[in-house]
Formats: sequence, structure tokens, C-alpha cells
Amino acid sequence: MIEVQRLVKRYGAQPAVDGISFSVARGEVLGFLGPNGAGKTTTMRILTGALPATEGRVSVAGLDVFDQPMAVKRKVGYLPEVPPLYEELDVLAYLRFVARLKGLPGRRVKSEVERVVQTCGLGEVRGRLIANLSKGFRQRVGLAQALLADPEVLILDEPTIGLDPNQIAEIRGLIRRLAENHTVVLSTHILPEVIQVCQRVLIVHRGRIVADDRLENLTSEARSLEQTFHDLTQE
Amino acid sequence: MRPAIAILRKELRVYFTTPVAYAAFTVFSIVTSFFFLRLLVGFQRQIDLNTQLRPHLLQYMNFTDQVLAPLTFQTAVVLVFVVPFITMRLLAEERRTRTFELLMTNPVAPWHIAWGKYLATLVVLAVMLALTLLYPLLVGLVAQVGGVAWETVGTGLLGLFMLGAAFVALGLFISALTSSQVVAAVITFCALLLLWVVGWAATENAGTTAEVLRSMSAIEHIRSFASGALDLRDLVYYLSLSLFGLFMTQRALEAQRWR
Repeated sequence: MIEVQRLVKRYGAQPAVDGISFSVARGEVLGFLGPNGAGKTTTMRILTGALPATEGRVSVAGLDVFDQPMAVKRKVGYLPEVPPLYEELDVLAYLRFVARLKGLPGRRVKSEVERVVQTCGLGEVRGRLIANLSKGFRQRVGLAQALLADPEVLILDEPTIGLDPNQIAEIRGLIRRLAENHTVVLSTHILPEVIQVCQRVLIVHRGRIVADDRLENLTSEARSLEQTFHDLTQE
Repeated sequence: MRPAIAILRKELRVYFTTPVAYAAFTVFSIVTSFFFLRLLVGFQRQIDLNTQLRPHLLQYMNFTDQVLAPLTFQTAVVLVFVVPFITMRLLAEERRTRTFELLMTNPVAPWHIAWGKYLATLVVLAVMLALTLLYPLLVGLVAQVGGVAWETVGTGLLGLFMLGAAFVALGLFISALTSSQVVAAVITFCALLLLWVVGWAATENAGTTAEVLRSMSAIEHIRSFASGALDLRDLVYYLSLSLFGLFMTQRALEAQRWR
């Protein structure tokens, strides 16, 4: 579903991503780990077609991200680290706006918005201004926005950051349900989250891949994922 | 097309559900009504004076030339101050709140963003200018002789709309360059101010220099509209300024992708 070959992204002379290659199969949930500044967000933004790569090839659902960014953007739902919310709008108005932005025809907008409101449990806040929502609800609105138009690929950048334990459990449950019929790339700092949600783990460090394996191969009774992460990304 | 309409609708919703549009309308109305009253009072004084001293001049006096035309001109100057305020948030705010990311990761082209925001702001501009219709309407109600030359009111408003549209396009472009609304407003204001005062320099020069300076000034081009004439040169001036602003906005948005 996602093919990344020798991807390089430089800001000036400084490489943020330094020649990484990986692929994600249809229906797989990939945990994308790494210390802050390792190049996770840059890689994810390139996958969405928002940011052009310096070198390398990236394709999503068989479409080249550089040649057909518009087609790729239609296939990908993206939740950035900071949910892109308009505080002046209420939840429904915001979701309707994003649905139209994705080019959904007028008659489908309403039903599609209703669907993601149900999926993300936003029923009780549908008429509230986004400015007045709690962090957990804002995160859910961000996720709902990514689900509009039912994209095949979901790219989620730290979706549970800053949430309380109950909210984290809810969002995790939601992601697990979504994983049943979507390809998901999930970046996170919370390692137990990876164990609960992902089948495969990719660890990046300083723009390079230091581990790419199934979860069970990176952990064992003697070694937790935490230790593996620590060993691979320590200075 | 659909994304552009989506952006247009969203912008209108934000304009009219937050104080931005209403604050602009209020300031604009207060200032223009002050100008209108001053012009009206001046006109009345001159009538009184001429009635006593030079009654033969009374036949040359008329409301349209002495109140409406200067009012159009002064309203154009008010736009120099008000337009930066309504355009400053257009793109700077998207960058600051990181909602720009939403536009970049969805199937939205730079022209969708530029035109959606531009047209929404033109609606705000049109409503704001429509408020000035109140002044000739009031005069029309009480006028006993002569009355209001509505064609001149029409060309005046058209001119102001064209000028405002050009200002909005420039403001939109400048808003695309920064993530600070204050910076966007200040730079837009300076740019518009420059387009106004460059005409003053014309009076100190003569010949070709004066001609060039005068034709660069955005406010000078309102003169024909204000006096009730439609001059193709002035229409072309405002249209090209608008298209330039929109084109530069699209360029700025495309450049954004590469950062």
C-alpha cells in the first residue's frame, strides 16, 4: 500500500530524513517510533503529499506522491501532531468544511459527517464551538476529520499526546477498530501503545531506520520494547 | 472548484460569526459618516454664503459634484486604513494555528485557496460599501430640488469596489507571507499608503514624471468614477492590480510547499 525507497529530505544541508526505505502492506498497522527530531513527522508529511522529498520515491496505493500529489491526498487521511482545527467553527461546521474540501458532493457531505461523528463519539459536542472543547474532544475532532471520505490510508502523528489515561484508552480502541479496514501508520512516543495497537514496528534515529521488524521479534521475555528502543537510539 | 467554494463558505462564516466584519463595518461607517456630515455642512454653508453675497453662483452648485464626488474620494482613503484589517488574518492566521497543514494535505490547489479567500473578502467589502448607500438615500428623501444623481452614486460605488478589490488582493498576498497578523496588517497598510501618497509626488513634478506618478497612484484612479465617468484605463488599472495580487498569492502558496 505504501512504498518508500531511499527517501531523503534535506532542509538546507541538514538531512532530516537520510535514505530510508520501507513498505507497508494493505491492512497493516505500522508503529513509527523514534526520538524527537528523528524525522518521523517529516516522513509522514512526505507520505501525505504535502511536502516534496529531496530524493527517493514514495508511492501510496500505487500512485507516485511526487507525480500525482492530488490523487494521493484523496487516498490519505492525516492527523498532524497539532490537530488542524478552526476554533471559530462548531464541530459540525468544521467537519462539513473539511468534507467539502475533500471534494465530496453536497448530497454526501451530511451523511459522511454523520458517519464520522458517530465513529469518533462526537454526538454530544456536535454543536459546540471547537474553541470550547476539551483536549480529548479536540483530538477526536482531528481524527474525525482524517476519516472523512473514508481514505484507504490513515497517517496519525502522535494521536494520544497530552490526553488523560481514559482518553488514551478510548482513542486506542478507536484506532484498533479502524485498523480492521484501513492501512495505518501511527507515530507515537508511548511504547505500550505500540504493543497494543501495532503489528509491525519501525524505529528511526537521526533520519535513518535502525529497526524494522514484527513486534514479537523486537521484544522477548528478557527484553522489553523499551529496552530495544533505548539501545537502538541512544547517543 | 468544490474546494474553492468550501473555502469561500468557511471564510464567510468566520467573518460573520466573529467580530472581524462587524468591527470593520463599524469603524468604516463612523469615519465615512463623519466625512459625509462635514461635506454636507460645508455645502450648506456655501449655499448660505452664496445666497447672501453671490446669488448668481447658486445655479452652478450641485450636491453630486460637491458632496458625493468628494465623498467617494475620501471613502477610498478610508479603505486604505480598513482593508489591511480585514485581510490580515486570511492566511497568516492559518499558518499560526497550523490549519494550513489541513489545506496542504487535502486535494486543494493554491488557486482554490487564493480565490476562495479573495471572493469571500469581496463579499465583506461589498456589504461594507453598500452601507454608504445610506447617505445619498437620506439626502434623496429630503431633497426638494435637484436630488441625487444615482448614476454617479453607482459609478462611485463601482470604483470603490474595484479599488477595494485590488487592495484586498494585495492584502491577501502579504498575509500569505507571514504567520503574524500584525506584521501582515502593518505591511499591507504601508503598501496601500504608498499607493495613495505616490499621487502627491505628482503635484511637485511636471510633465512625464508627474504623469507616471499619477497613474501609479491607486487613489487617483478613483477620480473618473467619482465624477460619474467610466474610464477604461482606470478599470484596467484596478483589474491588473487585483490579478497581480492573486497571482502572487498563488505563487506564495506554491512556494510554501517547498519549505
